[in-house]
Amino acid sequence: MTGPLIVQSDKTLLLEIDHDQADACRRAIAPFAELERAPEHVHTYRLTPLGLWNARAAGHDAEQVVDVLLEYSRYPVPHALLVDVAETMARYGRLQLVQDPVHGLVLHALDPAVLAEVMKSKRTAGLLGTRLDATDVVVHPSERGHLKQVLLKLGWPAEDLAGYVDGEAHPITLEEDGWAMRPYQQQAVEGFWHGGSGVVVLPCGAGKTIVGAGAMAKSSTTTLILVTNTVSARQWRDELVRRTSLTEDEIGEYSGARKEIRPVTIATYQVLTTKRKGVYTHLELLDARDWGLVLYDEVHLLPAPIFRMTADLQARRRLGLTATLVREDGREDEVFSLIGPKRFDAPWKDIEAQGYIAPAECIEVRLTLPDSDRMAYATAEPEEKYRLAATASGKNRVVERLVAQHEGEPTLVIGQYLDQLHELAEHIGADLITGETTVRERQRLFDAFRSGEITKLVVSKVANFSIDLPEASVAIQVSGSFGSRQEEAQRLGRIMRPKASGRTAHFYTVVARDTVDQDFAAHRQRFLAEQGYAYTIKDAEDLGVA
Amino acid sequence: MADRPGARERVPRIVVRMSTFTGFLRSSSDERLGALLARRPDLASPSPGNVTSLAVRATGRASLERALASVDAVVLQVLEAAVVLDGATSTRLQDAVAGGPHDEVARAVDDALALALLYPDTDASDDHAAGTAASAAGGARLRVAPGLGDLLDAHPAGLAVEVAGPPEPVTLPSDDEPLAAPARAVLDALMWGPPVGLAPAPGSTAGDAVALLVARGLLVRGSGRHVLLPASVALALRGGRTHREVAAPPDLTGSPLRAPATVAAESASAGERCARLVARLLRAWEHEPPGVLRAGGLAVRELRRTAQLLEVDEGEAAFVVELAFAAGLLAQDDDEPATFVPTVELDSWRGLDLPTRWVALASAWLATTRTPWLVGSRDERGSLIAALDPELSRPWAPRLRAAVLGVLARVPGRAPSAHEVVGALGWATPRSVPPLTAVESVLTEAARVGVLGAGALSEAGRALLPRAPGPATGAATGTERTIAAHDPDAAAEAFAQGLSPEVGDLLLQGDLTGIVPGRPSPELEALIDRAATVESRGGAITVRFTPDSVRRALDEGLTADDLLDTLASFGRGPVPQGLEYLVRDAARRHGRLRAGAASSYLRADDPALLAGLAEDPRLAELGLLQLAPTVLAAQASTHEVVEALRAHGLAPVAETPDGQVLHLERTVRRARRRGSRRAFAPVASRQVDTAALVRRLRASDEPGDARRPASRSGTSDEQVTSDAQVTSDAHTRAAAGDDATLVGPTSSAADATGTATTGSSARSWAGSGTADPVDALALLREAAAERANVWVELVGPTGRPERRLLRPLRVEGGRLRAADPVRESELTVAVHRIGAVERADEPVDQAADQDQEDM
Repeated sequence: MTGPLIVQSDKTLLLEIDHDQADACRRAIAPFAELERAPEHVHTYRLTPLGLWNARAAGHDAEQVVDVLLEYSRYPVPHALLVDVAETMARYGRLQLVQDPVHGLVLHALDPAVLAEVMKSKRTAGLLGTRLDATDVVVHPSERGHLKQVLLKLGWPAEDLAGYVDGEAHPITLEEDGWAMRPYQQQAVEGFWHGGSGVVVLPCGAGKTIVGAGAMAKSSTTTLILVTNTVSARQWRDELVRRTSLTEDEIGEYSGARKEIRPVTIATYQVLTTKRKGVYTHLELLDARDWGLVLYDEVHLLPAPIFRMTADLQARRRLGLTATLVREDGREDEVFSLIGPKRFDAPWKDIEAQGYIAPAECIEVRLTLPDSDRMAYATAEPEEKYRLAATASGKNRVVERLVAQHEGEPTLVIGQYLDQLHELAEHIGADLITGETTVRERQRLFDAFRSGEITKLVVSKVANFSIDLPEASVAIQVSGSFGSRQEEAQRLGRIMRPKASGRTAHFYTVVARDTVDQDFAAHRQRFLAEQGYAYTIKDAEDLGVA
Repeated sequence: MADRPGARERVPRIVVRMSTFTGFLRSSSDERLGALLARRPDLASPSPGNVTSLAVRATGRASLERALASVDAVVLQVLEAAVVLDGATSTRLQDAVAGGPHDEVARAVDDALALALLYPDTDASDDHAAGTAASAAGGARLRVAPGLGDLLDAHPAGLAVEVAGPPEPVTLPSDDEPLAAPARAVLDALMWGPPVGLAPAPGSTAGDAVALLVARGLLVRGSGRHVLLPASVALALRGGRTHREVAAPPDLTGSPLRAPATVAAESASAGERCARLVARLLRAWEHEPPGVLRAGGLAVRELRRTAQLLEVDEGEAAFVVELAFAAGLLAQDDDEPATFVPTVELDSWRGLDLPTRWVALASAWLATTRTPWLVGSRDERGSLIAALDPELSRPWAPRLRAAVLGVLARVPGRAPSAHEVVGALGWATPRSVPPLTAVESVLTEAARVGVLGAGALSEAGRALLPRAPGPATGAATGTERTIAAHDPDAAAEAFAQGLSPEVGDLLLQGDLTGIVPGRPSPELEALIDRAATVESRGGAITVRFTPDSVRRALDEGLTADDLLDTLASFGRGPVPQGLEYLVRDAARRHGRLRAGAASSYLRADDPALLAGLAEDPRLAELGLLQLAPTVLAAQASTHEVVEALRAHGLAPVAETPDGQVLHLERTVRRARRRGSRRAFAPVASRQVDTAALVRRLRASDEPGDARRPASRSGTSDEQVTSDAQVTSDAHTRAAAGDDATLVGPTSSAADATGTATTGSSARSWAGSGTADPVDALALLREAAAERANVWVELVGPTGRPERRLLRPLRVEGGRLRAADPVRESELTVAVHRIGAVERADEPVDQAADQDQEDM
């Protein structure tokens, strides 16, 4: 038996990780294959057109891809697949976006037939200007992103050779006093900078902010940072002040509350997408300065209007950061075409193995509903069923029991439904943070939690993203947004920052047995299961909960 | 050019020299004759009585056509040259075709001799014998087999052999003559054929040149303004050559080369998939066999369902179905209505190992006359061709497969395109080049069945090819390889080598998936089949365990512990906790609901009463079973239960499903009246209808021409009358559908009398008359072909129907052209003006005679 890789004709690659050559093979296929699942024995990668084009964009050619497959494959590689790889990769770069000294941005075709095909498509109508000759057509600069997106959909991805504007210079350096960039963070920054624009995928707690800071230092220009909410904006500011030469005065916050524009400006997605009388009123921010770098935090949450704005920012360097590039709306492609291809990706378990994120144990606790609840559930309207099952009162006792088991450890209880959370907070005697809690109150509770003053917090989905709770080591989720894989991963992320004591974090999901709650839980767990987190299933009865 | 064709007589070129040809055969060695019979199998069957009859058969047009269809382009060139240079030696033929000694041409001469398409004329004394060693008959004068010349081009090798040339030697206009240049241009244009040209108008330079050439005998006037270049002149111009160059086979060495391991692996994986699809199809059909359409074949709906079942497109589904049929694993049963069911062979086939199962399928595919790729297309009548349609057999299908695969066999490891294959066949068998679509279909099917891998012929496939008769042609390709004879064992072995190794490992993972890193052992395959869903197949198999898949295993009688033990025995390490939980959870839920059959129930508010009844031995025959304290189920019907309980001194009442009390009455029986919804239809006439219908069907069923008077002579008058009655009756109904609107009052009477008097011949037609437009057209076409007369009801410009006796001549483009024998005229009418058509009388030969007598 030779070779760690099995190439299936449906374009999946199976990598047996106990094999001697597994590591070498993983490194070799990472540039062009998407990691789909990483459970304990065999990792599944998939060859997609997007992945192959990204590889082309990163300078790999079809021959290298084919060689890698042939070198590591255990069995003969299906011939049709090799042909397909070559043909797919050959489509990339037949069209190029170039800067013409006379006409400005121009779509140049190496193959006139491709240009003719593309120009005939309805989708490119309005994006292309005057045809200069058989191989060149003028592109309106503001349509650069949109056009790239359309060309990707048409299967003729353009190579963007038009370059980036340098932006307004602004000195930024990292101040590595007492800390240093981790190797994978450095690789991520290098990968991004080398490629120009793109997305970096790192697990929660693996220090994405540092990657952002590193990129800013590399760029040393004015920077626009787009984040999900105000709390997150403040954390970015604090982190930047701590990690870089930037001072508070150089960093502005552009949010509902404040409208500051400074060399480094942190804006929320929400304020940018606010409309008044049908008009986006804060778009001027995008042109307020000659930004040299635009940074998107939690890029998987990028709202649709920002997609369109991003299309206008194509001439600027863009960096997207995320832990989980799975979008339930299936718009991963748009993220790639507008921000740029994936420049760096590290499986969660890899980072865990290196000790940079805490090892976590995922446990699903199944609760058998009492007969009265089951009867109520059985006869409920379909749209009510999830809520009924998710908020089953029996969960309170389970949570109580789990909290007691982890007495003294910083514990978060996370849920979706406010009634349930109020009840729970009362039941276990903890403070509650919801969307109604003021920013000041939130900060106070977070600080208290951080300092160890309080060890239990009940939070609603507002805390799903970007709250920095360094010492949370237990998370208990009682309900969520149906089957969101994204949310599940983000919630696990809350407890993955490495613990001082090096202890294992615990992630509990309390689920009502034989209900849609259980089905949704199964779907939610798919992403993490594919990342190699094996869920253990326990019965509530075994926890000593009657 | 020392060896001129001086001895050629300018007399009719086809001289039947049967005696010398027969003599050649008679004098051939047994070995040679045996080889001839092997290469021209039609000569051997039925076995000829003697050499003379063999010679007659070998010179028959059909047999020669067949033989010509099998020869390559060089042999054809040799034969053309031999026709032109009648009686030339092999050396001379090589000169003519290749311009000098040429091995390939010598080989072609030998081939033609072996096929008895050429033969040495031993009668003609030979003083030119300048033998080359290349041919056994190197010095003999060679002639083409009698009759062969007629089958070749009218101008073989572009030479007008039928016209006499000028006296030898041919002298061309010398350069200093006026008009030499234009004359030369004319000759050059005709030199390599076609040798016929249109003379330019006299007076022009070219016209004068032609006149000059004609005067010299270098051109010969043909019909009209045509002129021909005599063969002798053309040969002189060509320098004695009949062909510019030896036909070379297209070079296939440029087509992509595949690694042997890839070819073997892809052939094996395609073959494995094919065998799996056949097995899955038959597993489904053994439980629910699909019905046979009345016209034979499988309904489109069934095919679509099959495609869904197999998760393939409909084209491939049709292929799988046809393959199962060709392999004898599927047949039509004799039930009514008929269905397609697996045959008993299926059970033995299933018991074989995979390579042997594959060999059975692949051999069946190579040999079958079925043409699955035509499924879904339309036949000449425009109807959709169904899978398993009996019409889908084509006797040439196995030959086509052998020819296509033969091309691939000559370029081992290479994957030529269908275009290239057609090109190669254009050289190998120029007289029978298959169409591109057929070749494409064969290549697609070969890839599906696994005879090809990555587009190249696999070793396993090569071993199954039919034994090639005679020496493999294609020496010029330089990659000649003797095609292995048909050897199923070698094929199975080669196939097995391409399969990924059999493994007994199932890597179970925490995300509820499992991976078999190779081809599963039969036990493992069975487990996967029962308990998991396959997500990806190939060199390895990825499966996922879901509550549904585990439930399926439990449904088949496995317990949770059995399943977990089995999984653990295949897994490396323990079963992941998540999977174990899944299995246990599925087992916990399995069988929580119980279903059973009962005919009626008893319910009461008093549990004690029901308990007493359930225990009572006197009520045992009711089959009472206590389901709950207040409910009993009974095997007996409500009626019986109520009666029995009443007899028992209890006072039960029956109830409706919604709880209403039902007063049971004793059953009153009624027969449903049989009869038609159309009470006005007289019963008697309907009975006659069916009987007549059957007779008509029988009559039309008989093959042969429509007249067949002898077979009908015994028909009694009574039958004739009833037939007439029936046909007119049938006609009225057919014409009218449910209501008589189309056939006007004028027709009915004439109709009845017409058919009645014309007697027996009328009955031999499929339908004596029709107003259905499609049938009418068919009837008109049929009549045109048979030159029979028909009664045609024409709708005139006023909308008034007019009935005329016509003899259809042609039906096309929506128009009928017909002769009117009565008015002795021809007419053309638009088809839409034809209201009804009806057979009138005997076919026209007699009818015409009659007409004449009438006049």
